Amino acid sequence: MSATLFVAIGAGIAVLTGIGAGLGIGKATSSAVDAIARQPEASGKIQSSLLLGCALAEATAIYGFVIALLIILFLK
Amino acid sequence: MTSLKADMNVDTVFTIPIFGGIPVYESVVVTWIIIAVVFVACLLMTRNLSVEHPRKRQLLLESFVEWLYKFFGETIGEKGKRYVPYLVSVLIYIAISNLIGIIGFKPPTKDMNVTVALSLMSIILIEASGVIEKGPKKFLHSFAEPMAIITPINILEIFIRPLSLCMRLFGNVLGSFVIMELLKLVIPVVLPALASLYFDIFDGLIQAYVFVFLTSLFIKESVETSE
Repeated sequence: MSATLFVAIGAGIAVLTGIGAGLGIGKATSSAVDAIARQPEASGKIQSSLLLGCALAEATAIYGFVIALLIILFLK
Repeated sequence: MTSLKADMNVDTVFTIPIFGGIPVYESVVVTWIIIAVVFVACLLMTRNLSVEHPRKRQLLLESFVEWLYKFFGETIGEKGKRYVPYLVSVLIYIAISNLIGIIGFKPPTKDMNVTVALSLMSIILIEASGVIEKGPKKFLHSFAEPMAIITPINILEIFIRPLSLCMRLFGNVLGSFVIMELLKLVIPVVLPALASLYFDIFDGLIQAYVFVFLTSLFIKESVETSE
């Protein structure tokens, strides 16, 4: 059981935060598409809200990625 | 892989030989370059402005500034309009420094010191705008709104907001940088250019916009009094 095994397992678990981001952004996009289909005049505002929401949700996935990177590079 | 680890750390370019040597990091030098370029661009674009006979360049510039004021004016509200010039400057700086990875420099926002500094400036601005607008006593009292139970959460938010702002920007820039380096190792020919369209350009611009948008949202929240 070398140390690199645990490093690899830890980094792998850290990146699992991507699941949450994928599900969340998918649901948000589906609601946005529904809203645009219902009222095409408001598509500008809906698009900017969607973009903002996706960027915020993606942040949590990025946190996991950064932690995994730090684990790989700085743990021996 | 060791070159990847070396790329993650920020190198010292040269050392100023006063006070026992102040190391000057790479991100500072790239920031100087950005400052010089933007300064020269500003000088060139604001030469020969006139009220009577505006030329095409001046009209373009004026409509651009008008659009920016309207864009951020909605999020920041009436009372926060005086902070828009600072926010637009931060937007231009972050956008250029995220995109400068295409030219070959290392983006200064890849260094955590830069993003932490930006988010510290943001949080100081948010709290200061609250104090200026409401006066110190009412500002302290606003921590207990809307209910007194939430006060510890409100106090915690002073620390959590800049933390999430800086980690979001740093993580996105670092992630796209690492992915681009890995791509270049694997397929050095055409794929990096296409992938760079999404990772570098799109992601960098959106992160700059999100940073400034969130700061303006917090400013509006802090400035608005519940009447």
